[in-house]
Amino acid sequence: MPSSTRRGLIDATETWNRRLHYYSGLYLLFFLWLFAFTGLLLNHPKWSFAEFWTNRQQSRYELPIAAPAATGDVAQAEEILRQAGIRGEIEWTKARADEGVLEFRASRPGHIYEICADLRGGRATVQRIELNAWGVTRILHTFTGVRLNDERNARDWWATRLWAFAMDAVAAGLIFMVLSSVWLWWSQKRKRAAGLAALLAGTALCGLFVMGLRWLV
Amino acid sequence: MNRRFYLALRDLHLYLGLFFAPFVAAFSVSVFFLVHAWLPGADAEADAPRVVAGLTMPAGVETLPARERVEALQRMLAEAGIGGEIGFVRYDVKAGRLAMPVIMPGREKEVVIELAARTATVRERETGVWDALVFLHKAPGPHLVDIRKNWWPMQAWHWLADGTSYLVCFISLSGIYLWVALKAERRVGLALLGAGAATFAGVVYAVVH
Repeated sequence: MPSSTRRGLIDATETWNRRLHYYSGLYLLFFLWLFAFTGLLLNHPKWSFAEFWTNRQQSRYELPIAAPAATGDVAQAEEILRQAGIRGEIEWTKARADEGVLEFRASRPGHIYEICADLRGGRATVQRIELNAWGVTRILHTFTGVRLNDERNARDWWATRLWAFAMDAVAAGLIFMVLSSVWLWWSQKRKRAAGLAALLAGTALCGLFVMGLRWLV
Repeated sequence: MNRRFYLALRDLHLYLGLFFAPFVAAFSVSVFFLVHAWLPGADAEADAPRVVAGLTMPAGVETLPARERVEALQRMLAEAGIGGEIGFVRYDVKAGRLAMPVIMPGREKEVVIELAARTATVRERETGVWDALVFLHKAPGPHLVDIRKNWWPMQAWHWLADGTSYLVCFISLSGIYLWVALKAERRVGLALLGAGAATFAGVVYAVVH
């Protein structure tokens, strides 16, 4: 390849790397602000302005239900939710001991429903908890529908899947931005030394926590 | 637009971004493990238990208030060469025993202290680098507020985790300023900013309402 063509290709790639760096940053901006801000809220549970649990609204009601025709815990729970007009991620809070009773939680950020359905009696008791905007915001950070070491609960609501996909996309976007920033820095020869110092210092400090502590302490 | 301010901000954006880049990458990679509840190497076996004898037991450690108790235990375990963040402490009154997890990124210990015998039985498990990322992502977090950050590296990590959040805000705001200066990119950038805002609003609406 002639050197002028090669140079042109490198220049075009660098231009697009720079463009994609700020295009992805602009597209993900609101997601980044949400996760950065809620990260701070999670690390500072004593910030009183963001208190939400003590300000929750609770109510309890009963409603008639028809015994679900479906078999299987999730299918039955989904049918009961449809009858009750509740939307949310199903969470199993206790093992099912009686085939005639189905107890589970359905939640989405800001709304929690504890449901106890008596399938034989045709009634369901619903305890509803409503959280304020701080509760909604904070729960968005951790709303995945699944937990490590919890095999019983799986993501079963489409909106949870959508939110999980958004979280994955934001994480992938951030990784791309980190890599593209390294390239952007490297292409500025005058800033290589200072940039290298900053990158190495950050890598050493982060590496100390991720890998070093267990060897040093 | 002030040229000197612009250049200084561009340098700050670059160097602070590079310094915090590994932290942002660490938080981002761990997202995949948390979102998919999957962790390679999570089923590592614990080592054979070892017994540490001759502990300097603080008087009445079992009845101290939660914070004082973990601080006393932290000092005692440090003397015995057992380092890490102490989690929830369980006190078995009948057996005269305290049990607690002692965690550091990538390594977990289950420590059982026999108060009368002044011994600690330690079961240690290597949890690996991916678990370390997940642990750090969630630390210090909203739980066990009274006792968390009882190991000094976790206090330092708290500052770094907060710093990463503040940095993301600074980098994004300074990035907007730097983008606005590029007149040729304003239209596309504005379209993407709008598309991102609409996506964000749409997804949040779908999940919350």
